[in-house]
Amino acid sequence: MSTQSGVPASRPPTLSGILRALLEADLTVQLRNGRALLLTFFPPLAVLYGLSTAKRGAQLGGPIVNVALALTLGIALIAILGYTASVASDRELGVFQRLRVTPAPTWTIMVSRLSVQVVSMLAMSVVVLVAAAVIEKVTLDPAAYLLTLAMVILCSAVFLGVGQALVGLIKSVDTVNALGRLSFLPLVALGLFGHSDVFGTTFETISRWSPGGAVATLLSGAMHPVAWTADTWWALLASVLYSIIFAGIGIRWFQWSTR
Amino acid sequence: MSDTARPAPHALALQVEDLRVSYGPKRAVDGVALEINEGEIFGLLGPNGAGKTTTLSAIEGLVRPDSGSIRIGDIDARANPAAAKARMGVQLQSTSFQSSLTIREIVRLYAGLYGVPLSRAGVDDLLANVHLGEEASKRFSQLSGGQQKRVSLVIATIQSPPLVLLDEPTAGLDPQARRQLWDRIERLRDIGRSILLTTHSMEEAQAVCHRVAIIDNGKLITVDTPAGLIEKHKNDPRVLKVAHGQVTLEDVFIGLTGSDLRD
Repeated sequence: MSTQSGVPASRPPTLSGILRALLEADLTVQLRNGRALLLTFFPPLAVLYGLSTAKRGAQLGGPIVNVALALTLGIALIAILGYTASVASDRELGVFQRLRVTPAPTWTIMVSRLSVQVVSMLAMSVVVLVAAAVIEKVTLDPAAYLLTLAMVILCSAVFLGVGQALVGLIKSVDTVNALGRLSFLPLVALGLFGHSDVFGTTFETISRWSPGGAVATLLSGAMHPVAWTADTWWALLASVLYSIIFAGIGIRWFQWSTR
Repeated sequence: MSDTARPAPHALALQVEDLRVSYGPKRAVDGVALEINEGEIFGLLGPNGAGKTTTLSAIEGLVRPDSGSIRIGDIDARANPAAAKARMGVQLQSTSFQSSLTIREIVRLYAGLYGVPLSRAGVDDLLANVHLGEEASKRFSQLSGGQQKRVSLVIATIQSPPLVLLDEPTAGLDPQARRQLWDRIERLRDIGRSILLTTHSMEEAQAVCHRVAIIDNGKLITVDTPAGLIEKHKNDPRVLKVAHGQVTLEDVFIGLTGSDLRD
């Protein structure tokens, strides 16, 4: 059966059909912006190389911590700079308003976008883990690789939650971009010293339980499961709490339109 | 709405009753009621900030009304927004799509969102029907204003909805593109679609609309056919004051809404 305009008659859209259409479009956008995506791979690789060759690299916690810090940086870059910029820009253009007048539930629009970001983070993590094997000679058991990638997904939730809160509460594209860069200091850079007392134990404690610190601790533990300690469990709990709090804020108060 | 303004009774494609929408303390839509019959083109006229787009946004589900009811056919749009959205096509005032997607991919995306099974060849046929076959691989931003409006209209009608909402569909178009779009709107009516459009163009309202309503300060002032409106208000002192010779629809519009500039 077809309509008079030659278009096959529509059936009520199914949830799976809606998600498939959104995911296909969002993945296409992500792949088409491959150069930007590849650029987000570069900083974690540079940090990994820098930490492995620097004299003080070992003071931050050793090879596994260096890999964890590189992964943390990569995840945060994609979430806080890449994701927020694309959402803020599309909102400014009115892309979300157009999607919202379709039968697609609003949560599917966000889930699709977030899923594509998680896929990007997993791809970045695989690249960093391969580089770690080459540069730092850090190789893991298959189970540790799987656990690390599973924890990458949880860590993605932490920083995507932060990004969601940022872009959810602030409408202006310029402000979102500026605050995204500024938030790197408390969220990520601070976490670099969570395994080092070079700035004293108080700073180390603050650093360890910052979002970046918790994520780095969790990833270190996942890469070396035999050394999974109580601190790793606390880091896991902190990461879950950060995800829930930031994502909750970002979803509850997300502003779909700039008007 | 006066009974004289209503054509012969038909099934209603859209029924809005006592719609109220506020933005903070400001009441943007204040008790709007309108009915659109199946196969009817209904125009909503009003100055900037009168409440046209907010009325449409409430019907589309983009803003939550304070009160009132909205029925799309037999569906309560406030109680069942997904079902209502599936039965209406929407062209927003300023539409944009993901900037990295091609026109073909955009059409495919929206076909998927409405549950329309369209192959690549089907998408290309659809675009060829509106003379956009050669633009299928371009990005939305690479199209002219008229082409963008055609893409938006294709997407607004992709699931062949019984009701189509068009917010200033011809704004910014040259006369040729505007006439082409009018033809497309009339063709939609010819195949039984009901259309609610907003416009600033009195010429457009007279050319394509069966009935028009004038809205100002969130309230519907009057509803009738374009000719009926002129007839009804031609002796109104406010209209006579602004008329230059024979009273036109624009005279009625300015007479009823005032000559002051709006934001």
